[in-house]
Amino acid sequence: MNKTLEAYEAVVGGAVIRQLRMLGERLKGLTVLHVNSTSEGGGVAEILTWMVPLMRDLGLDAHWKVIRGTPAFFSVTKSIHNGLQGKPVTLTRKDWDTYYGVNAENCGELRDSLGKADVIVIHDPQPAPLLTLCPNRKGKRIWRAHIDISRPFRGVWKMLRPFVEKADASVFSMSKFAQALPHPQFIISPSIDPLSDKNMDLPKTELEEVRERFDLDPMRPLLVQISRFDRFKDPVGVIQAYRMVRRVLPVQLVLAGGGATDDPEGKEILDEVRDAAGDDPDIHVLLLPPDAHRTVNALQRLADIVIQKSTREGFGLTVTEALWKGKPVIGGDVGGIQLQVTDHYTGYRVDTPEGAAHRIRFLLHHRDKMVQMGATAREYVRENFLLTRNLREYLTLFTCVLRGQHRGTIAV
Amino acid sequence: MNPFEIKDCALLTRMSGLPAAVNLRELRDRIASCHRDVLYHHFCETPLTPSFDLPDYRNDFAVWAKSRLGDDVLAERLGMVDPYSVEAMEDLRAATLEIIDERLSEVTMVPWARPGKELYLMQAVTIVFDTGDRITHPDELAAAIGRITNSSIYFHVLEARRRNTPREDDFSAWLRGGEEDWSHYIRAIESIDVTFFTLPELRRKMIEVLTSARGPGGKGDRA
Repeated sequence: MNKTLEAYEAVVGGAVIRQLRMLGERLKGLTVLHVNSTSEGGGVAEILTWMVPLMRDLGLDAHWKVIRGTPAFFSVTKSIHNGLQGKPVTLTRKDWDTYYGVNAENCGELRDSLGKADVIVIHDPQPAPLLTLCPNRKGKRIWRAHIDISRPFRGVWKMLRPFVEKADASVFSMSKFAQALPHPQFIISPSIDPLSDKNMDLPKTELEEVRERFDLDPMRPLLVQISRFDRFKDPVGVIQAYRMVRRVLPVQLVLAGGGATDDPEGKEILDEVRDAAGDDPDIHVLLLPPDAHRTVNALQRLADIVIQKSTREGFGLTVTEALWKGKPVIGGDVGGIQLQVTDHYTGYRVDTPEGAAHRIRFLLHHRDKMVQMGATAREYVRENFLLTRNLREYLTLFTCVLRGQHRGTIAV
Repeated sequence: MNPFEIKDCALLTRMSGLPAAVNLRELRDRIASCHRDVLYHHFCETPLTPSFDLPDYRNDFAVWAKSRLGDDVLAERLGMVDPYSVEAMEDLRAATLEIIDERLSEVTMVPWARPGKELYLMQAVTIVFDTGDRITHPDELAAAIGRITNSSIYFHVLEARRRNTPREDDFSAWLRGGEEDWSHYIRAIESIDVTFFTLPELRRKMIEVLTSARGPGGKGDRA
């Protein structure tokens, strides 16, 4: 069921909700069209699932359309996605024709919606050619890149750039993810929904059920890393850190995440992790289904310390989730973790398993510090990384783009 | 006296278009050539951006000098630059460049940041709007500050110092314009060193000093 803004008042306070209503009032009736490539699964669909109803709740005429494609199209867009993130890929002229052709077909189907919208937000590269198609529409066009394209594979960026540079503005999640483009590039950090299954408060009975289900000892400290089994998340490094701590403290470790067993690399890494864990009964390697949001929520809440020892990271929303639950985070000094984890205040940033082990031991010996960090962390997320802030920045973006003013102060 | 109009603002950051700085010399070049909005953003708008509330220093340049260049001397000097004490942004630019030039003349090797720790030069666009909320009497100030957003506090207390002549917050300017003497409230607000508070802390502090200045009967200590 769609939530209304008032549902968030208890979390963020009445002033924040009133502010959103006032901004929304000034954009009332504005037709906004979001376009992406999937209606479920993945971060973008997750964002649009809450954003579109909340924009409507604010009085905007917000819509969400999903482009349709063939398996060949999605195979090409997967390669484009990888290429934008720096992986060398080979795409033929035929592949690019498929990419453009499917978008042209979708443009035909979406022509009415694209024509009527005052603001069109194209999410990620899959529907990017729509930025150049349907030339007679009246609306402003925004390209929202959810991925890090700072070091793209040149061949892919060269082909994609002509589409995205036709936008009136683009949006990136972090400044370090952006590319130089001939229009204003705004920064909007991702956010979490505090009332979603992954972040809502859970009853104690449910936490205990999860603790029992995974055979976790309530009397001993628990370290948790939630992330897919990917080399950049350094799960083996986390096990090394755990072993260094285990010599002196009776800790337990949970490494939990989704991981498609049909993904050859994911399977390989999962095998490596299981090998590294060996027969240690205090290392729990959990392969969770993609919809195990409440289980992830419970594991984060059961943790004493949450770890995210990535060696490369996007924004790192799992860190945001942990901070929201009042947990200190020990994370790699990369990507969005740098924005969220500050030494001594919300956790520690580390570069090595040794660094992680050192900080874990320090915190487990200073419980009062952990409580203090947890409280700071929760307030930090409340102020900066909840969906209400995300929504406010979109409303600000629409106002700027519609007025064509991209710097200074705009009185509305 | 006219009612005080409570305004609010929403800020959105954007890339400045300048390349990221990877060492102190590049930072100097960027500061020398950037738009004044870039300077203003990194010195003054940090309380409204998703950055940690309690950094060692209150401007991005000092924080970067300490955490990424590892230059504590430079960080300490940049950290004491008060962006609200200068007449114009160009004065702020000159003062900042002076500090950096002095440091460059002292060091034998130009401090540099590791890959991934560059400084991205940013700026922002801010939307300002009338909330419709009004303060009709100075004795209501503390209560009103308790119900407004952090961004409203920013707009009326910090951003106001850029707009107003003399450089003061909007509340003091309003109180000064009244026919009666509200100097006890003005003194109370002036007693706060705004640089070293986060916005929620600033709100608490303002409520505290204004409540104390009001006194139980509402007339305050006008002695």
